[in-house]
Amino acid sequence: MKRRDLLRAAGAATVLSLLPRDAEAAWSRILSGYRVAEGLTPAQRALVTGIADTIIPRTDTPGASDVGVTEWVDLIVAEYYSADVRTPFVDGLDAIDAQVRASRGRAFAELGADAQREVVASLDAPADRRTPEARAYSRLKSLVVHGYFTSERVQRDVLHTQMFHDRFQGAADMPARRTP
Amino acid sequence: MTQRETYDAIVVGSGITGGWAAKELTERGLRTLMLEAGGPITAADFVEHVPSHQMKFRGYGDPEVMRRDHPIQRECYACDEVGHKFFVNDNDNPYTTPDDAPFRFFRGRQVGGRSITWGRQVYRWSDLDFEANAKDGNGNDWPVRYADIAPWYSHVEKFIGITGSKENLAQLPDGEFLPPMEMTVVERHAREKILAAFGGERVMTIGRAAILTQAHNGRAACHYCGPCERGCATFSYFSSIGSTLPAAQATGRLTLRPNSVVAEVLYDPTTSRARGVRVIDAVTMQDVEYNARVVFLCASTIESVRLLLNSKSATFPEGLGNSSGLLGRYVMDHHYGSGASGDMPGFLDKRTIGSRPNGIYIARFRNVKTPHKDFLRGYGMQGGSSRSGWGRGGNMPGYGESFKRELIDGLGGWRLSASGWGETLPNAANRITLNPTVKDKWGIPAAHLDVRWRENERAMDADMQVGVAEMLEAAGCTNVRTHASRNPPGHCIHEMGGARMSRTPAEGVLNQWNQSWDVKNLFVTDGAAMASCACQNPSITYMAFTARAVAHAVDEMKRGAL
Repeated sequence: MKRRDLLRAAGAATVLSLLPRDAEAAWSRILSGYRVAEGLTPAQRALVTGIADTIIPRTDTPGASDVGVTEWVDLIVAEYYSADVRTPFVDGLDAIDAQVRASRGRAFAELGADAQREVVASLDAPADRRTPEARAYSRLKSLVVHGYFTSERVQRDVLHTQMFHDRFQGAADMPARRTP
Repeated sequence: MTQRETYDAIVVGSGITGGWAAKELTERGLRTLMLEAGGPITAADFVEHVPSHQMKFRGYGDPEVMRRDHPIQRECYACDEVGHKFFVNDNDNPYTTPDDAPFRFFRGRQVGGRSITWGRQVYRWSDLDFEANAKDGNGNDWPVRYADIAPWYSHVEKFIGITGSKENLAQLPDGEFLPPMEMTVVERHAREKILAAFGGERVMTIGRAAILTQAHNGRAACHYCGPCERGCATFSYFSSIGSTLPAAQATGRLTLRPNSVVAEVLYDPTTSRARGVRVIDAVTMQDVEYNARVVFLCASTIESVRLLLNSKSATFPEGLGNSSGLLGRYVMDHHYGSGASGDMPGFLDKRTIGSRPNGIYIARFRNVKTPHKDFLRGYGMQGGSSRSGWGRGGNMPGYGESFKRELIDGLGGWRLSASGWGETLPNAANRITLNPTVKDKWGIPAAHLDVRWRENERAMDADMQVGVAEMLEAAGCTNVRTHASRNPPGHCIHEMGGARMSRTPAEGVLNQWNQSWDVKNLFVTDGAAMASCACQNPSITYMAFTARAVAHAVDEMKRGAL
């Protein structure tokens, strides 16, 4: 058996037969609109989607909400965080929401693109990193980046991640830049 | 009702040492029964190629499963969202410690044991290690020296396949190496700078690992997918189920019985020999008894000692083979994790391709030539360099198109880090006993572990931070930051001792052949046999001792002495 065939066989066997079925089913449910208990409120979802797409906007490659980042954040809030993490996080999101409404007269999602970028700019470089808003934004940004870059579309179509290699290279040349 | 069957040999445990015992026993003609407490595993159970997007929590782990089943095991890096199935359920497998002496006991009960999840780093010990107890008076003198074990290192290395680079260091002997993995451009640079800055005394080499860099003994070369701790469909790293157990099965003389919890080794006072073992079937909970001419305990350090302590008789009321009273004493683990990290400027035109399941190693340099003022013995260092890629995005200032483009195309700067793995002094107070009231799911008394870091370990931890930081600075790193480890004993999963080898019956539990002083047909060849713990990862040494012990046992049987 050629090495390439062996790797293909190993990879196919793994992907087809070893996929944790429960996880796949749960993820499909989430992507198809299934709402988990104690997740984000509609207002929080709208805020998360708006901020996520401002951090990672759609360009010639998908934006954050195109690859399910909102649903990922919702899942983490509902099923991953313990109460001592969840409560300050969602309270912080609510504080951001209230602040935006107070200063701009409407919700984040209803602002124009320039105004959204101004809000995120101030959240991204806060005067005080210890406020509930700053902490919630910092946590959200990490979730957005993780959810975006671990998504199937980004792994496959943007990063072109390869699982199998003939050897490890410790000093390969950087490739030409992939995005314009 | 108790059934009885008789074999030439019984091996308790199917992991790294059990696999070697089975291979050597069966290849030398013995009908061998291997008893494994956990269930069967095949390559179809491996999950190393499951991408994050197919995991519900994208690799973060299912918090409910971890809280419910693995409150202790979850602290091991390898007990992750899909790999946690290779770790025990903590509810079924309790152990206890004093309130002020935490111990992390990370365990895998399945065919293959912890050889599925092990770190795969392999380093020979040297006479600096085997002579250490005799020279500084801590612990007992080892009954062996490097020359006794060197041919057995070669024996196991040739079979399992070790990648590494020869360095000709007396304190870290070279082995039978397959081609080394590449160092990164930053590691090559750092190696040369550190060699120059410390007069050749500090040598950074590529990690020596039980991973194939070329096809070997019917197994395919590594395909650099990354998470070895979740298994390997091509068996490209050494595990018993990919290497030694198939070899044993090929002889036609191996009987492998999973779901077999060994409750005690049975002693026959008329012959002064072990008669066999009593097994509790993990599924039916029924007792089964097996008899054999020779018994090998390869259940892991704590489990083998626990089994001996639980094997009580009129002759050995304090545990089988415990006439010295030392069974359970002198338990060790490596204290590890203190070190430093820094940014390496430049090299931005270079990157890595593939996931290297290996790092760099810095051979021990403390107390090799000149004594250190603060502590005895020494430490090796493990680490590596990488560019952070998109993972830095959560902490990287910015947002919008330029932020996104930078995370997709740019990899960030290089970071280089290393931490120490330190030798722990043998101490009689570091001890395994039985808990008088707590029992596991099968009704077997649980281990009570009282193991503590002491003055020498603490002094060495402090020096690890200094030692790494000054090397990183010599290599040209900026923003060098030290880190102090808070890992309790056990966390390194290099637990050793408890049934140590010795030169005389009064000084230990086993002789130089891993053979019980008191019970001649009983052998313990896992980490329990160690009389000191050196600073090198120990598994290859257990394998070498196991093969050597089997050769001795079979020779003794052939000449009628066993």
